[in-house]
Amino acid sequence: MSTVSEGLSAAGLPASPAGPTTNLADVDASKEIVPLWQQRLRIFFHNKLAIASVIFLMLVLLFCYAGPLFYHTNQTNQALALTQPFNEAPSAHHLLGTDSSGFDELGRIMFGGEYSLSLGMLAGVITIVVGTLYGMIAGFLGGVVDTLMMRLLDAFLSIPLLFLLITLISVFSRTTVFLIVIIGVTGWFGNARIIRGDALLIKKLEYSQAATAMGASKWHIIRRHVFPNSMSNIVTVATFSVADAILFLSTLGFLGLGIPAPQTDWGTMMQNGSVQQSNGFWWEIYPTALVFVLVIVAITYVGEALRDAFEVRLLER
Amino acid sequence: MFTYVIRRLLQSVVVLIIVMLITFTLPYFEPNGILAPAYIVLGTHANPQNVHAWGVANGMFHPYWVRFWNYLDQVVVHFNLGHSYKQNLSVWNIISLYVPRTIWLALSSLILTVIVAIPLGIYQASRRNTIFDYAATGSAFILYGIPAFLLGILMLQFFSFGWTHLPASPPSGVAPWAMFTNPAGFILPVVTLTLLSIAFLSRFMRSAVLEVLVQDYVRTARAKGCSKGRVLIRHAFRNALGPIIIILGLYIPALLGGAVVIESVFNYSGLGIQIVNAASTLDIPTVLGITLLVSLLTLLGNFLADVMLGVVNPRVRIQGSSR
Repeated sequence: MSTVSEGLSAAGLPASPAGPTTNLADVDASKEIVPLWQQRLRIFFHNKLAIASVIFLMLVLLFCYAGPLFYHTNQTNQALALTQPFNEAPSAHHLLGTDSSGFDELGRIMFGGEYSLSLGMLAGVITIVVGTLYGMIAGFLGGVVDTLMMRLLDAFLSIPLLFLLITLISVFSRTTVFLIVIIGVTGWFGNARIIRGDALLIKKLEYSQAATAMGASKWHIIRRHVFPNSMSNIVTVATFSVADAILFLSTLGFLGLGIPAPQTDWGTMMQNGSVQQSNGFWWEIYPTALVFVLVIVAITYVGEALRDAFEVRLLER
Repeated sequence: MFTYVIRRLLQSVVVLIIVMLITFTLPYFEPNGILAPAYIVLGTHANPQNVHAWGVANGMFHPYWVRFWNYLDQVVVHFNLGHSYKQNLSVWNIISLYVPRTIWLALSSLILTVIVAIPLGIYQASRRNTIFDYAATGSAFILYGIPAFLLGILMLQFFSFGWTHLPASPPSGVAPWAMFTNPAGFILPVVTLTLLSIAFLSRFMRSAVLEVLVQDYVRTARAKGCSKGRVLIRHAFRNALGPIIIILGLYIPALLGGAVVIESVFNYSGLGIQIVNAASTLDIPTVLGITLLVSLLTLLGNFLADVMLGVVNPRVRIQGSSR
C-alpha cells in the first residue's frame, strides 16, 4: 500500500517534515510506513461482518432520508390519513399496508426512522461530549475534585436510567428537542467512568509527566495528550452510546412517553403495532421490528469491531 | 471486614442523600414554575387565591434549604413521601401496595438468571470457539439488540397467541403470593426478563472465566494432575465469582428498568405501571417517590454486592472499596 511518506520520498522530499533526513528516516523509508489510522482501518475492514454492518447502516440511512423522495406518502396530516383504509393488508397501493390510523406503513418506517436515527445520533453526541469532558476533568484533576465528582456520579448511577428518564419527562414537557436533551444528559454516566479511567492512566504516563515538567498547563495536557490518547475508547463508547440512545428512545416510545403524535419513532410504531398483534396484523409490527433490531445489532457490531481495531495488541509491528 | 462494611455503608448514605437532593430539586426546574402542580391538583382553571393557598399549605414558599430539610425529615423520620396528586392515596401506600409485586418479578428472574447464566458462561469458556460457543455468543448478541418490550411482544405472539396458549398476563390484584397460587401467568414475564438478563450476564461470565483460565495457578493445577472439571469448579469458578458479583450489583438498575417495561407489556400491575401512569398524568410526588425507592433498592443491591465481594475476595476488604 502506498503511503504519503513514500510518495514524498519518491518526489525527492524528506519523508519526515521535521527537516533533513537522518539515517533513521532512511531506514524507515525503505520499509513501508503505514500510518496508525490506516493500520486500524485495515483491521476494521478485515472484519467482513463489520463491513456488512456499515453498508447496512448506510442503506438504512439512505432508505429513511432519501426514501421519502421517491416513495411519497402522507405522514403528518392525521385528518387526511383518516380517510384511508385502516389496518389494510399489504397491496400494490400500500406496499406494507396501513396502520391503525391509516398511515402508509412503509412510509411510516422511513418517517419514524428519521426521528429514531437523528434523535439517537444527536443524543449520542451529547452523551459522549458530556461524558468525555466530565471523565477527563475528574480523572485528570484527581484528589478532592475527583472524589466529589465520582460520588455525584454514583448518585446519578444509582437512579435506574429508565426511572430517571421517566421522572424528567414527567417534570418537564415532552418535545422532540427535550427528548434529545434528556436522553443525552442521562446517558453519559457510564461513559464518564470509562474516560476517567483513561485519564487517570494517561496522566501517569511518561509523556504527560514530561509535558508537566516542561511547564505545560493542565488544559494543554488534557487537549494534546489525554484526549488524543483516549480517542479509541471515546470512539468505541460513542458508537455504543448511539445504540443505547436509540434503544432508550424506543422504550420511551413504547411506554407512550416518546415523541408526540403525529411525529413518531420506531418504538412508538411498535407500540401501536403491538396493540393490533392479536388480530394478526403482522405488517404493523414485524417490518419495523426487523429494521430496528438489525440497526441496533449492526451499530453494536461496528462498535465491537472498532474496539478490536483500536486494540494495540492486534496492530502490525 | 467490619470497618470495610461501615465505610461502604457511609458511602451509600452519602450517595442516597445526593439522590434525594436530585429528586427534590428536579421540580424546581419545572418550566411553569414551582406552583405548576397546584393546577394539576386543583384543575387547570383554578382560582389564583386557591393556588396561592395550596402553595402556603404545602410549604412551597419556604427557602430551598428549609424545604429540603423538611423533605428529609418527612422521608427519613416519618416515611412520608407526600400525597399522590391523582390517586387518593399517599405515595407510601402506593409503594407498599406495588413494590412486593415488582420485587417478586425482578428477584425470581434474577435467581433464574444466576442459575442459568453462570453455568452457561463457564461451559462456553471451557468449550471456547466451538459451534456451541459461537451459537450462544451470537444469540446473546442478537438478544442484546432486542429491546425488552419487543422481546415481550414476540413472546406473547409465539407463546400466548401462537404455538401455545400461556396466559398473556399475570393475575390482576396485588396479592404478592399470586406467583405460587397461579404460576402459569408468571411464566412469560419472568422468562422474558430472564432471557434478557442471561444475554447480558453469560457474556461476562464467559470472559471472566476465560481470564482466569490463562492464570498461572490454573496451569499449575493442571500440571499437578487436577482434572479439567475440577479446575473449572475449584479455580475458575471461584475466582470468576468476584467480577460477576460486581456486575450483578451494577445490573440491578437495568433489571428494575426491564421490569418497568415487562410490566407494561404483560399488564402486570407493579411499580413500573404505576410510575408510567403517574408520569403521563403528571403525578409528580408518585414519580419522585418511586424513583427514590428504586434508587434505594439499587444502592442496597450495590452495597450487598460489595459486602459479598469482601466475603469472597479477601484482597478487597484489605484494600478497601473496589472503586
